[in-house]
Amino acid sequence: MSNPVAIVGVGQTGYRRAHKDKSSSDLIWESAKLALDDAGMTIDDVDVVVQGVAPDALSGEICGEKTAIIGAGKPHLRVNTGGVTGSSAAFSGASYVASGRARAALVVSLERMGQATSSQQVFNTIFDPVYEKDFPLTTITMAALRASMLMRMYGYTEEHWAKIASRNYRNALKNPLAHIHKDYSPQDVMDSPLLAWPIHRYEACPMSEGACAIVIADERSAQGRTPAWIQGMASTSDSYAMGDRIHRPEATLVDLLTLRMSAERAYADAGVTDPVHEINVIELYSPFSSAEAMTYPALGLCKAEDGPAFVDRQGVDPELPVFNPSGGPQAANPVSATALVRIAEAALQVRGRAGDRQVPGVRRALATGQGGATQFSTVCVLGAQRPPARS
Amino acid sequence: MAADQDLITDVTDVEPVEIPGRWDFAFTYFAGNAASRFFAEIRENRRVMGTRCPKCRRLLVPARSFCDACFERTTEWVPVSNEGTLETFTIITAAFPGLPEPPVVLAYVTLDGADTALVNVVTGVDCSDIDAAAARLFEQPRVRLSFVAEPQGRMTDFSFVLAD
Repeated sequence: MSNPVAIVGVGQTGYRRAHKDKSSSDLIWESAKLALDDAGMTIDDVDVVVQGVAPDALSGEICGEKTAIIGAGKPHLRVNTGGVTGSSAAFSGASYVASGRARAALVVSLERMGQATSSQQVFNTIFDPVYEKDFPLTTITMAALRASMLMRMYGYTEEHWAKIASRNYRNALKNPLAHIHKDYSPQDVMDSPLLAWPIHRYEACPMSEGACAIVIADERSAQGRTPAWIQGMASTSDSYAMGDRIHRPEATLVDLLTLRMSAERAYADAGVTDPVHEINVIELYSPFSSAEAMTYPALGLCKAEDGPAFVDRQGVDPELPVFNPSGGPQAANPVSATALVRIAEAALQVRGRAGDRQVPGVRRALATGQGGATQFSTVCVLGAQRPPARS
Repeated sequence: MAADQDLITDVTDVEPVEIPGRWDFAFTYFAGNAASRFFAEIRENRRVMGTRCPKCRRLLVPARSFCDACFERTTEWVPVSNEGTLETFTIITAAFPGLPEPPVVLAYVTLDGADTALVNVVTGVDCSDIDAAAARLFEQPRVRLSFVAEPQGRMTDFSFVLAD
């Protein structure tokens, strides 16, 4: 059984290198309070709390959410699925509500990596200690290995990576919650220091911390509020080993098979058949430009070989959806929360509450999540129109 | 409400307290039977072995005890060539605390006979000109394994070197 569910509240602390004036529990509390206020609810109106926190070592706290078990006396879940932690938490909360086991769910994701002096050494520990961890595999090198493969297979250039990053920075100028507010041109990106060929510093996401919360409500609870209906959501997993996916005939390492599967399922539920024209805003989980480029064909926006031309069309072709009006993860990447921020920002766009970054006339918005060594993919389609109940 | 937040999280007239912390735990990782044999073959015989999935017939390198795509136990051990093709790479040029000093070339290589690619570093690449090095690696060069003098039974017992 699946009843219609909607996002009726969004709260964000804003994202920066460090919130030195707030404890982990303060950040959770603040985002949760803002989301409940936005929904016009109290903690008593929600029946389940789901919290998302990704690798504990990023904050140096085991279960950093433990000091903020809000609304005691309710079911409480903690989710960790790497980069998709935030969207996994949202889908968990949504499942509670859609199944009728909760009237409303509060979903909070915390990233506390401001407490880390360096993230890349911690990120090396997410890899397999038997076959991989001896090598400098990190989030940056993992992205770089894909970027060079995309360049070889589909003809992307460093200019494409720089163009994508520059557009995201420019969008972030209108988002007061973003971490980076710099109007970097494509040339600025290419002139910034090389981290791992072909990735330059300004193409790589920053270390950001902060918390994001949403309130997900059933149809009755959504009445009288401003809903962004969840029209479709899907989450799929993939084989872990990146080397196993390089020769896979149905989709190579850079073809994001599971994002494609998630998109197909979410589109089917949402009734989306022509995503380019039926979706107005897309919030992508794209900490690197190459991560963004990999999503285009997986989301059905263009053919893989047309990806570089698709980048060139953006901002020129008014028929295309608007990408990352928030600035996306290149302008703020609070890892555990990033996939939830995508959903929260998509919800704000549908609800017409995105402030200066509001895109006019948004009827439908899409949010992606990408986690681990791209072995977790989530797609969430939000819309102004309530979906039908499904048996 | 706003008043609550003023009281709890928005106090601005105190110096934020910062408490130093450090994680420095020692661990022992258990490789399991398949990887243990894989490492023994490298240590004793200077050869790389894969395991074959009886269902999809892929030869998985490095060796695994089961095929996670098919959910089948692997049944057959097969050696692969010490030569292969570089699939994709990066050249690490920036230093990060706790990670090897740059430049480091990291690559996935498919050894001849394998159906999957293996990650390791490529040693001996002239990185004095990064763009020139990248251009060369971009052409998917042939590489071969180079073993250390005294293998310990680890992935670091070997690296890739350009074959020509």
